[in-house]
Amino acid sequence: MKQRYQNRIELLQGTLDLLILQTLRWGAQHGYGIALAIRANSGDILQVDTGSLYPALHRLERQKLVAAEWKLSENNQRVRVYRLSVAGKKKLATERSRWAQISQAIAGILGPAGEESEA
Amino acid sequence: MKFPWGDEERRKKELNEEIASHLQMAARDREARGESPAQANVAAQRELGNAGVIQDVTHDQWAWTWLEDLLQDLRYAARTLRKNPGFTLIAVLTLALGIGANTAIFSLVNGVLLRPLPYAQPERLVGTTEYYPQGALEVMREQSRTMELVGVSDNGEFNLTGSGDPVRLIGNSVSADFFSVLGVQAAMGRTFQDGEDQPGKDREVILSRALWERRFQSDPSIVGRRITLEGVDRQIIGVMPADFRFPSPKTELWVPLHMDPRDIGTYWGDSYMPLIGRLRPGATVQQARTELKIMLPRVLAAFAWAMPDDSFVTGTVVSLEEAIVRDARGKLLILLGAVGLLLLIACANVANLLLARAATREKEVAVRVALGASRWRILRQLITESVLLSLIGAALGLGIAVYGLSIMKTALPPDTPRLADVALDGHVLIFTAFLAILTGIMFGLVPALGASRVDMTEALKSGGQRSATRGNHRASRLLVVGEVAISMILVVAAGLLVKSLWILSGTNPGFRSERVVTARITPNESFCEVPGRCLAFYDELLRRTRALPGVQDAAAVNALPLGAGAEIFPSAVEAHPTPAGAHVPMLWEKIITPDYLRIMKIPVLRGRGFTEADAAPEAQAVLIVSKSTAEHFWPGKDPVGQHIRANWEPNVWRTVVGVVGDVREYNIRSDSASWIDGVMYAPYGAHAIRGSGADAPPAEMTLVIETSAERVQIASELKNTVASLNHDVPVSQIGPLKNWVAEAMAEPRSISGLFAVFGGLALLLGAVGIYGVISYSVAQRSREIGIRMALGARRQEVLLLVVGQGAKLALSGVAIGIAGGLMLTRLMSGLLYGVQATDPLTYGAVAILLMLVALAACFLPARRAMRVDPMVALRYE
Repeated sequence: MKQRYQNRIELLQGTLDLLILQTLRWGAQHGYGIALAIRANSGDILQVDTGSLYPALHRLERQKLVAAEWKLSENNQRVRVYRLSVAGKKKLATERSRWAQISQAIAGILGPAGEESEA
Repeated sequence: MKFPWGDEERRKKELNEEIASHLQMAARDREARGESPAQANVAAQRELGNAGVIQDVTHDQWAWTWLEDLLQDLRYAARTLRKNPGFTLIAVLTLALGIGANTAIFSLVNGVLLRPLPYAQPERLVGTTEYYPQGALEVMREQSRTMELVGVSDNGEFNLTGSGDPVRLIGNSVSADFFSVLGVQAAMGRTFQDGEDQPGKDREVILSRALWERRFQSDPSIVGRRITLEGVDRQIIGVMPADFRFPSPKTELWVPLHMDPRDIGTYWGDSYMPLIGRLRPGATVQQARTELKIMLPRVLAAFAWAMPDDSFVTGTVVSLEEAIVRDARGKLLILLGAVGLLLLIACANVANLLLARAATREKEVAVRVALGASRWRILRQLITESVLLSLIGAALGLGIAVYGLSIMKTALPPDTPRLADVALDGHVLIFTAFLAILTGIMFGLVPALGASRVDMTEALKSGGQRSATRGNHRASRLLVVGEVAISMILVVAAGLLVKSLWILSGTNPGFRSERVVTARITPNESFCEVPGRCLAFYDELLRRTRALPGVQDAAAVNALPLGAGAEIFPSAVEAHPTPAGAHVPMLWEKIITPDYLRIMKIPVLRGRGFTEADAAPEAQAVLIVSKSTAEHFWPGKDPVGQHIRANWEPNVWRTVVGVVGDVREYNIRSDSASWIDGVMYAPYGAHAIRGSGADAPPAEMTLVIETSAERVQIASELKNTVASLNHDVPVSQIGPLKNWVAEAMAEPRSISGLFAVFGGLALLLGAVGIYGVISYSVAQRSREIGIRMALGARRQEVLLLVVGQGAKLALSGVAIGIAGGLMLTRLMSGLLYGVQATDPLTYGAVAILLMLVALAACFLPARRAMRVDPMVALRYE
């Protein structure tokens, strides 16, 4: 059971981190909020699995890319809120450019191949 | 790496709350979209999944990432090692030898030097370096405020008679509170109680577990039984636990000291023994030392006779461990140092292998750097690999250590202190694990640093051949030079010890040992108190022994040469008055029957040997002295006709009638101990006088039997012969005299043997090291060699080029090794015999040997270089 979850984390690792960091760029947010934001901003395509979200958040916190603190939500509920750290901002910048490279490269590979198969 | 054990509970609680708040928010949103509260809750929970597992996994992010990294590194390392079986095999074997040797020697050091003594509060136990008689012990026990002192005699011998075959047992006489001072209990029955070392109350004995099992068939009702020891009826009051081996593992029984002030000779003169003590609460060893010095004048004043002023002055108090271990410490540390050097060689070798491999791995590392691995991460990966390597080596090394230790335990002299405590225990395993990790880091760090400093673009661009390897190559040459230097030191040390052993085994001990069988005949001491009984017994025994088949002649002596001990005879020498306050001359007295000198081939240099007539009561009291004794007392004069007497017999002068050759009486290295002034021989007979002052001749004698061939089967015949004369007399230690001589060589032989093994390993590893570096360099330079050959270089020139390179490295190593050896071998001068620690012959021979081995190691790669086809080499790449 645990193993299955861990496999899923590995699958998403990196990508999910990038998405979380990107989401936090607009301000501090709790886990549920982050999940909602990613889902909304991807046009409901990316469903963030809770079992991946929290391990990722805590991993980022451990790496000091995000910082966490307890706050009261608008509903007067105690929630744990994550905020981007300075290191996190830097990481986001490098990860974004790396992502750009990779997606370009993948597009480069997929592009012609796709045309061929259609032709 | 972080171990957040402290926050553990808090973090778990917070995480629980965080997930709960997530659920609540999700449920509230669903309710807002119109679901019923119950529906919303179920749906939110289904969406979330298994909260417990999520918490677990999230929690793991905090604690175990470093472990996961490590596991990943280990998996990767294992894969890499599997892919290079040749490299892995050589590296693991090299490390196994190095770590195995260290583990074995460390087990010795641990068992002998490090393990606390198995007694209560062992750090409070002390011992004296000096021996004291019973009277002195009593004075010090009364006066000491820092120590509870007890006496423990050296190993004594006791005849057990009256129950089956008579046997000779080894036992010690101890103070009544000996066991309570050590803080040990009997396994069965009890130990001695206060006052049980006083005459009349001392008829008791405590058995060792081994004796109880062997001789008394583990009889559970043994306590209370009476046995006859040395003619004395004693009650068994207890059996000690199996692991109690004090003062020696040979000890089979303990009897109380017989503290009788009326027996002046024994009380003050004949009962010298080491003392042990427990420091009283608050007292320190330093205070005990001071107190010992303060007590000394009072102790000397209490003696029954005037003692020389310098008696006991060198005596001091040391920890009991130190008192037990004595000079074994130095030898063990030397051995530990030697295996440490061996491990350094092994490390250098594996580091070299890694350096050579680093070149081929450059590309792999570059790819990993390009994929985003940090330098630290790469370094960690490479170090993990080398530590894994050395852990595998250590596992194999443990096997080598177990095997080596079992060999060493039989090869080391059995009187090595605490040898029975030596085992591969938990401490040794921890040491080995620690050593393996340290070793892995040591040989892995330099290659890993080099490899992780890789220039990505360079490495990826070039064919992956030589970009960062130039620095590596310098490092590997340095390693080889160091390796050869250390090998030189170890081989020189081995050479010096082997040469010592060779000289030692070639020395003439002063007597012959071929075709002589010896046996100890030990009637009870009281047997000889009846005048003439002992003389008649030995007379008849020798006569019957001579009649046994294969026996040519037989004689008796009170103690064999080479440290079996002899009567110590405080004497006065005519025309050599002893100044007041000085020591009287101490002589060893060998009591012999007339044929002894002839059977042992000890030459009579002047005068005559003994005859049967010398033993008669009416004959003149005569002596024979050894050559060096004669030179000591009467330099330039004729010793024959001079006189010596016992210092307590003012008017009984004994006449020297002969001078015989020197014999190694003390040990294989020296004729006599430093505190002995000479050796004299007295005939076994009416005039045999004992150092203790006892009138009777010694009861215990050793038969020296000349046989026509090496006959060991004489044992049973001899036992029958003795039994036919007196069935209460044990016969023990029957064996060829050659074995006795070999036993005397056991210690030098075992140490030389160990060093010879270390030296051989050092030579082998050194050769492998040179071979590795030179063949790697040939492989690297094959293109250059090809060009040279294309330009007309001849094969011999190529050979010289390669061999010259190796020779240069070896020569530097040898030079450094000589310098290091001159510094280090001085430490072992105490182990050498007949050879200086700086012996130029040994140094020269080892240097030549090492150069030859180095050249041989270069030869194979050089031949490969000669065969380089210029065309192939140039086309390559």
